[in-house]
Amino acid sequence: MDSTRHILTNFEDALDNLRKDVLMMSSLSFRSLENAKKGLFERDEDWCNTVIADDEEIDALEIQIDNEGMAIMLRFHPFASDLRNVIAAMKTSVNLERASDQSVGIARRARKLLLLPLLPSISRIEPIFNMALSVYNDAIRSYADGDIDLARTIKSRDRELDELNREFADNLTELMPRNPDYIRGFLELIFIARCLERIGDQAKNIAEDVIYAVSVKDVRHLHKAV
Amino acid sequence: MQTSKETVVKATAEDGNPPGRPDFLSVKDFNFFYGKKQALYNISMDIPERQVTAFIGPSGCGKSTLLRNFNRMNELIDGVNHSGDIRILGKSIYDKGIEVISLRRSIGMVFQKSNPFPKSIYENVVFGLRISGKPSKADLDECVERSLRGAALWNEVKDRLHESALGLSGGQMQRLCIARAIANRPKVLLMDEPCSALDPIATVKIEELIRDLKREFTIVIVTHNMQQATRCSDNTAFFYLGKLVEYAETQKIFSNPSEKQTEDYITGRFG
Repeated sequence: MDSTRHILTNFEDALDNLRKDVLMMSSLSFRSLENAKKGLFERDEDWCNTVIADDEEIDALEIQIDNEGMAIMLRFHPFASDLRNVIAAMKTSVNLERASDQSVGIARRARKLLLLPLLPSISRIEPIFNMALSVYNDAIRSYADGDIDLARTIKSRDRELDELNREFADNLTELMPRNPDYIRGFLELIFIARCLERIGDQAKNIAEDVIYAVSVKDVRHLHKAV
Repeated sequence: MQTSKETVVKATAEDGNPPGRPDFLSVKDFNFFYGKKQALYNISMDIPERQVTAFIGPSGCGKSTLLRNFNRMNELIDGVNHSGDIRILGKSIYDKGIEVISLRRSIGMVFQKSNPFPKSIYENVVFGLRISGKPSKADLDECVERSLRGAALWNEVKDRLHESALGLSGGQMQRLCIARAIANRPKVLLMDEPCSALDPIATVKIEELIRDLKREFTIVIVTHNMQQATRCSDNTAFFYLGKLVEYAETQKIFSNPSEKQTEDYITGRFG
């Protein structure tokens, strides 16, 4: 997040590689969420299986980023913005991995839904999915660009996502007594919405780490909107 | 950039040391010249009592020059000149009534390369005491044990106090020089890259010693090793081209410096 070159080329290269790996991991993680959406709405098992298979690569990247971050701290003893960027990269990779686990959860439930008749209420979850995709994408962009203005929008949008999830769960719970044949499917959808709400939480965590890395302000656990 | 405005850091360190005087050693609008070449520009800063203050910066930035002004050692060089003032406990070190010898006795100094005299360990420690009067044998013995204990060297040398100091290891010699410096119970201890010639184990011992010594002494250390500054010091001053760029608590300097020049230097983007 600093364009000035370091005089130690090895250090500069190590920081660049770490950042590239986080960006690669974020691309894969976002693609998994998009593929999970395709699997759910296109009722396509192949997309669901792709999400589950891709998770292995994302897990491996998390370990790789941890190792790279540790090596940088051990070899170069970074200070100030360099230190914050290494810590932010390592913490971001944890959140990306957790978000990918949620995509896997969605894909598994979408696969179970294939065994059930098409749910009439499935389109109700689409706004939540789109909201989660948008919030997650912006959190990743804020990391890539060091854009704290964008990062600052994430927390309130995560709250909107929480609210959408609550309303969705309430609506489906109301529909259950009148549609006993769909109860299992409704439950799967409620769990999928819950996964999307968790992805919003990971996006918020990433945004908070971006704000810290760039501006040194620790905005975690503040009650006011950022 | 911090130049003429006085820079102040907190007077209380975070390790339970009792709060000391925040302006124990005070530099006011200080300029220094080697002949026509100006080495320090308008330095103002207050160094708090019983804390460790580190001076960092690239070679030639003026940090050692300022350190050597605290005990007027630079005056041993021909053609030097200064303006502004340096005060200890509010009293100028340039007052006409100040004797340079007694000033240097009250401000101990440890150099980059250990420089024990070719005498016994015992005689090295009491050297300052002997030339300042006629102390009793009991006073000398007390001084040797106190100083060597203070320098964390007593247990290693107590059985060979009258052997040559030149037989000690590099780390032990440097601790002997610290013992010699604190033997006179100075107000301030100046250290000019005290670990740069030592191996990692000897360095760790000196660093631990610095943390112990600050309970009693106000310490100023010049170091090129930024990890050492973070480990040892409470406050850090960054100098560049003879100017004080930034002076703040060490954690602030190394995690979130205010000045871009400081950030660029500590992250290795110039130097």
